[in-house]
Amino acid sequence: MSSGARSGPRIVTNTVEFPYRRSLGPVIGTFVAALARGQILGVRSGERVLCPPLEYDPDTGAATSGEFVAVGPVGTVRSWTWVGEPSDRHPLDRPFAFALIQLDGAGTSLLHAVDAGGEGAMRTGLRVVPRFRAEPKGHTGDLAYFVPEGAETTDAGVVDGAALSPVAGGEPGVVLEPVETMEFWSSLTYREALSAASERYARSLLAGRLLGQRCPTCGKVYVPPRDFCAIDGIPLGEGDDLALPDRGVITNFTIVTPVKYPGQKETEPFVRVSVLLDAPDGQLSESGSALMGLQPVVDVTNEEVRVGMRVEAVWLPEAERNTDELGNRGWGSTSGALTGWRPTGEQDLSVERYIDRVF
Amino acid sequence: MSADQKAFGEPIAIVGYAISPMSAFSEDTEVRLCLDVVTRALAASGLGRKEIEFTCSGSADYLSGGTFTFVANLDAVGAWPPIRESHVEMDGAWALHEAWVRLLIGEERTALVFGSGKSSTGDLSRVLALQTDPYYLAPLGADPLSLAALQARALLDSGRATERDLAAVAARARRAAVTSPHALPALAAAAADASGTGGTGGTGGTDGGDDLGDQIDALLTADYVRSPLRAHDTPPVTDGACALVLATATVARRLAEEKGITPVWITGLEHFVEPHQPGTRDLTDSVSARRAAQAAGLAGGAPVEVAELSALYSHEEIILREALGLPDGCEINPSGGPLAANPTMATGLVRVAEAARAIQERGVSRALAHATSGPCLQQNLVCLLDRQPLGKEAHTSQGSSQEGGAR
Repeated sequence: MSSGARSGPRIVTNTVEFPYRRSLGPVIGTFVAALARGQILGVRSGERVLCPPLEYDPDTGAATSGEFVAVGPVGTVRSWTWVGEPSDRHPLDRPFAFALIQLDGAGTSLLHAVDAGGEGAMRTGLRVVPRFRAEPKGHTGDLAYFVPEGAETTDAGVVDGAALSPVAGGEPGVVLEPVETMEFWSSLTYREALSAASERYARSLLAGRLLGQRCPTCGKVYVPPRDFCAIDGIPLGEGDDLALPDRGVITNFTIVTPVKYPGQKETEPFVRVSVLLDAPDGQLSESGSALMGLQPVVDVTNEEVRVGMRVEAVWLPEAERNTDELGNRGWGSTSGALTGWRPTGEQDLSVERYIDRVF
Repeated sequence: MSADQKAFGEPIAIVGYAISPMSAFSEDTEVRLCLDVVTRALAASGLGRKEIEFTCSGSADYLSGGTFTFVANLDAVGAWPPIRESHVEMDGAWALHEAWVRLLIGEERTALVFGSGKSSTGDLSRVLALQTDPYYLAPLGADPLSLAALQARALLDSGRATERDLAAVAARARRAAVTSPHALPALAAAAADASGTGGTGGTGGTDGGDDLGDQIDALLTADYVRSPLRAHDTPPVTDGACALVLATATVARRLAEEKGITPVWITGLEHFVEPHQPGTRDLTDSVSARRAAQAAGLAGGAPVEVAELSALYSHEEIILREALGLPDGCEINPSGGPLAANPTMATGLVRVAEAARAIQERGVSRALAHATSGPCLQQNLVCLLDRQPLGKEAHTSQGSSQEGGAR
């Protein structure tokens, strides 16, 4: 990213990841357990067998029987499409077909991948057989994909179901210990234009100045500028921007005790404070002052932080300032420009003067 | 309003609406898109912000990746002092449904509804795959385009449509896009170049014309993106927003008299949902769309003249046309529909606004708007709009006596 010549807005990217661990329940858990044995199970519901097996009948909403039935292994393609350029979320890294496959003995179809070699090999009505992961992981992915019946398997990671150890005969009433949970890693990357207001704020931080914006209707001061007033629902613009003092008072704080999760970098309890900035004319005023939330502190212990403490901004040296991480969210972030806020040593301000401005 | 002023079951009208410019990549924030349409819809209604008694919005935080983006979007309405407000993690058309029910109950007399989405921010094929069943579908990366293609193939295999029929839907959408103020500009420009018309036509609705035939031929030469779908059969990534203002009959008539507003009456609004697993239902039919249309009262009253359908893919229009049983003369998606602009989470609400526009600006008497949610038309909403408040009597069980004279 560059903050130099503007040939269009700066683009900011942001990746959100989450490691899900899902409970599978008795029905899907049993389906997954059978995959490790090279078997695909359906569940009986009234007169028909549902595959994939579900806890409730999709037509009636009634609980399904809990009676599992081995289906297939051969199935019929009921519809299909060709994925010429698979993404990293798809089950195959080479061109493949997505197909609705009705396994012999099942009354419904299962969505899955068919490794057909080429689009020309696909047609509705094609007979296909499953390929299972040679080393099962207790995941729906243990059913790797399907291939046209009679096709040779060249993929070393997968096997025909017969190569695993199916329950004898695949008879009705097979009882397997359900797999309890399955992991799923979600990752989404977002890309957006840095808004004009955020861009002005970023430039201001680089210059060592806090930039705010005042609504001409209600007088509320926002920091950073947003180009609208959330009270009056009106657009604001660059003409409403104003420079703000980098001094204020702590009106609220919290001490965060970090717990471990992917991406967590903190290990020790840390404090985050709300800072009500001095008004542009130097006086604190409830309506005419801006509040910055979730700010870090420096030169003060967690235990010493208190409501009413007067603080001032500690800027990074100009050469070290970097606002590349700044986006349109996290309003009031000073990351990359300030190291935090430190006590000035002045006398505390009494809470009555800003009781409505703790957030 | 006090209990004795309750107006249970009064007819509800749309008294204002606004649709944002449609963009493939908006440089504005989502709040600013919302602010624009909310401001313009209120101005069109003649109501001020403080006169709105209930607000409901539809959006999905997964689209922008921001935590509680829907709360940030409230900044567009001026939610201070606190307001009565709700949100659905669905298309704005379902926010309209919630607001409509609230007004029917009679506690509130005015409502603001908006839907918004910047689908350019993330990768829709990944985001929407995460909204599928997390056991059997999401782990396969079951993207919306692949699921739509399975439905299209099923329809073609049934013999009820051909690839040429799909291309004809796309060609008409493109023709309509040329003159639609709410089509994606790049798409409208490309369509104008391809047709060589530069702005004639735009009403679509018929299959005839050598010119259209040539365009269909041209479209059919394109490669598949997911067979049997070609790029023109699929919706463009679009950022946009839409807002509506609703009022009960008493307020709507006052606005008509005092401000010259033309109310558009909601005379039916219903939605139904089908099983999620695509392999458990007949993909060539839309049972839930048919039921919603029946429940909304499509069969009663005058024939629908304009239908704005959330047909995201060409084949969906064919399935919906059949399921809804639209009359032969009914004009479909004169706005260009989602093939011309598909602002995810606002697309359905835009259909309602476009149907209202057909009544307000083009003299149409009765129009239908449709919204959808989930893969392969899983859930469908039908909204009937009329120039006159001739809705189902069931909705006017009380207070109907005062309505009699006004008709």
